[in-house]
Amino acid sequence: MLKVSQLSTHYGSVKALHNVSFTAEQGKITTVIGANGAGKSTLLRTISALVKPESGSITWKGRELVGASPESIVRSGVAHVPEGHAVISQLTVEENIKLGSLFRRRKFASDISQATKEMFDLFPRLQERRTQLAGSLSGGERQMLAISRALVSRPEVLLLDEPSLGLAPLVVEQIIQSINDLCRKTGLTVLLVEQNANTALSVADHGVLLALGEVAADRPAAELMADTALRAAYLGY
Amino acid sequence: MNTFLTALFNGTSRGAIFALVALGLVLVWRGSGVVNFAQMGQAMFTTYIASTLIAHGNSYWIAFIVALIAGALLGGAVDLFVMRPLHKHSHSSLNATIPIIASLGILGVLQAAAGMFWAGEERGFPTPVNSLGLSISGKVMPFTAFDLFVVGVVLVVLVLTTIFFTRTGMGLAMRASALNEEVARLSGIKVHYMKVLSWMISGAASSLAGLLVTPATNLSPNSLDLILIIGFTAAVVGGLDSLPGAVIGGFALGLVISFVNVYLTPENVFLAILLTLVLVLIVRPQGIMGSKVGRRV
Repeated sequence: MLKVSQLSTHYGSVKALHNVSFTAEQGKITTVIGANGAGKSTLLRTISALVKPESGSITWKGRELVGASPESIVRSGVAHVPEGHAVISQLTVEENIKLGSLFRRRKFASDISQATKEMFDLFPRLQERRTQLAGSLSGGERQMLAISRALVSRPEVLLLDEPSLGLAPLVVEQIIQSINDLCRKTGLTVLLVEQNANTALSVADHGVLLALGEVAADRPAAELMADTALRAAYLGY
Repeated sequence: MNTFLTALFNGTSRGAIFALVALGLVLVWRGSGVVNFAQMGQAMFTTYIASTLIAHGNSYWIAFIVALIAGALLGGAVDLFVMRPLHKHSHSSLNATIPIIASLGILGVLQAAAGMFWAGEERGFPTPVNSLGLSISGKVMPFTAFDLFVVGVVLVVLVLTTIFFTRTGMGLAMRASALNEEVARLSGIKVHYMKVLSWMISGAASSLAGLLVTPATNLSPNSLDLILIIGFTAAVVGGLDSLPGAVIGGFALGLVISFVNVYLTPENVFLAILLTLVLVLIVRPQGIMGSKVGRRV
């Protein structure tokens, strides 16, 4: 499991995360919900080492991740899809996907075309556009591409930051379903950050509610979904 | 007609060298966001190494290869021992200018060191093939064997570079690192290695430019300063963040300079360079092949 304990992160003097602790069970979807500025993205960025924490620890299968570099964290099986459909728009769809598998090309050369094929099976629209520049894709396609780039590294943990941001509900549904299927089929551990709490809680097993950088609730997703008082207090609906 | 052909071939041969210089500048700019003003200082230094090797009785080709390797190592060293520590310790609003000042400092150090090691006097530099007018079946050609050699070598380098960047995994990793550092790192690419590598390739390319241009300019600690300025102009004309742009800019400037030299007077060359730069920047402020997005800061 992915275990976060007593994690604190600051941006200068601004406290973004304060003593955050929770665990994400292996093979399950854990969602982190909360209002804008609750520290959700910072949490993911701290796990993937893009941001250095002030204190605390993050372990995956007992291995400490704090102090490692972002590239070595990816290499150890924790892949991050940052907020805002992070693809490289000047590269083609195929090149973007290939990026995620580059570091495996010596050891697992034969697996790479297979992994790429799996991404095209997962998101057939990307196959149609494989030679197009990523910059020419729609928002939804870019998100699919960003997820593919992460998945092609064959991660054990997928950190997904606001995949629904700026996308039409139907596309969001499709992307979330794909992730859900993948998780159930392959045992992928997913940490899903969402502002859209309903969508996230509907597929997640477990939910963590962040408020102003602190954990306000840490419960099974169904319980969080049902707790109208909590939702009204922290999410406004 | 013959004058025209001479200007054309001469310009192409010079343009090939400017293209190399511009390529080196663009590689480092894209990889690290640094305009490396020390680049041709590094090339001057490695050309001196080659010159010394030749003076001690080694063949041109040994000196040639050693100079290229030395150029790559020197480029890597500049990144590892100067640029990287500076980057780590700088947090001020001067961040963008610090590497530029540092590169000027390195240029000064290299020129002073070359002056100390090899005295300040100008020396010639050999060519591997004849640099007098080439004659084929009794007819004197408007170009020399060395011109052909220069253009040939540069074309080989350009083709290899293109294959490297478009067909290999490491080339893709380098492009990705230059375009979007965060996504590259999140893809498991060791961006720092890619940066050193871009400095090394740039160093080797400029070393090559130094070896190819020095037979015409002679060798002194300052002999390549002008080449840097023209190469930099070529890079800006081409679009500073585009490798094909750098190459086009290099050849374009080579031809402009050559034609002005032949049809006007050598004194007008600088005016022509300036005019080319201004015209391109007015028509296409981002350069011939540059991307429209503003400079990354």
